[in-house]
Amino acid sequence: MESDMNVSDTQTMEFPRFGTCTYSETDVIRFPWGIPGFPNLRRWLALNVDENNSFVWLQSLDDLNVALPTMDPYYVFEDYDPKLPGYAAAALDIESPTDFAMLCVVVVTENAEEMTMNLFAPIVINLRTHTGRQIVLENSGFSVRQSIPRKPVSPAIEAEPAS
Amino acid sequence: MLVLSRKINQSIMIGDNVRIVVVAVDRDQVKLGIEAPREVPVHRSEIYEEIQRSNRVAAESAGVPAAEVPATPSATPATIGTASRARLQPRKK
Repeated sequence: MESDMNVSDTQTMEFPRFGTCTYSETDVIRFPWGIPGFPNLRRWLALNVDENNSFVWLQSLDDLNVALPTMDPYYVFEDYDPKLPGYAAAALDIESPTDFAMLCVVVVTENAEEMTMNLFAPIVINLRTHTGRQIVLENSGFSVRQSIPRKPVSPAIEAEPAS
Repeated sequence: MLVLSRKINQSIMIGDNVRIVVVAVDRDQVKLGIEAPREVPVHRSEIYEEIQRSNRVAAESAGVPAAEVPATPSATPATIGTASRARLQPRKK
């Protein structure tokens, strides 16, 4: 999220995986329900590391050893257009498409040959309130492990929902 | 785990806001109805567990291929939603 870098509002922290980072309280994203697998971690920070803007790391501020690699799904799947279930809009106070952004968790396979993206459960973030929740699109047909090409920042690649 | 027996059409209240009703029973399958506030998600457990597992694997994985992460990384808060905002603009033909 954009934030005015008012010096008095910022703090600097050392993250085990990413080194030093300076951020302000307005950068912090609250996850009142945690994230599945990490139900007690409620405060997170979205980070770019070393100017690699295609990945967004969700770094936990409650457990510095926990960071989730994510991407904006539209960088790879231009036509990804999930319908948010009612509970998502209600829980996150979302009223229009401009209220929110999505990040999808990615997994890199061991030999780093493949990346997959979880299109089935995007992390939805209300950009106004800086609140987030991972939303499960049950019965959507999207895949938890959608394959993506090695270098995703390239012209639109058609995504076919797969189960 | 609390175990209760219910007959068809009987129900259970969980907390003040969630009701589970036994709608039908057919051999080894039970059809359940769930009444919950709009902001409460309801999911099959195996689906929720799959998401948990997937998140844990992602958190443990390298995330980004190792060769691309230099020895002394630095991090800055990300601006999120850029691609989705661009997507909401009218597309140039």
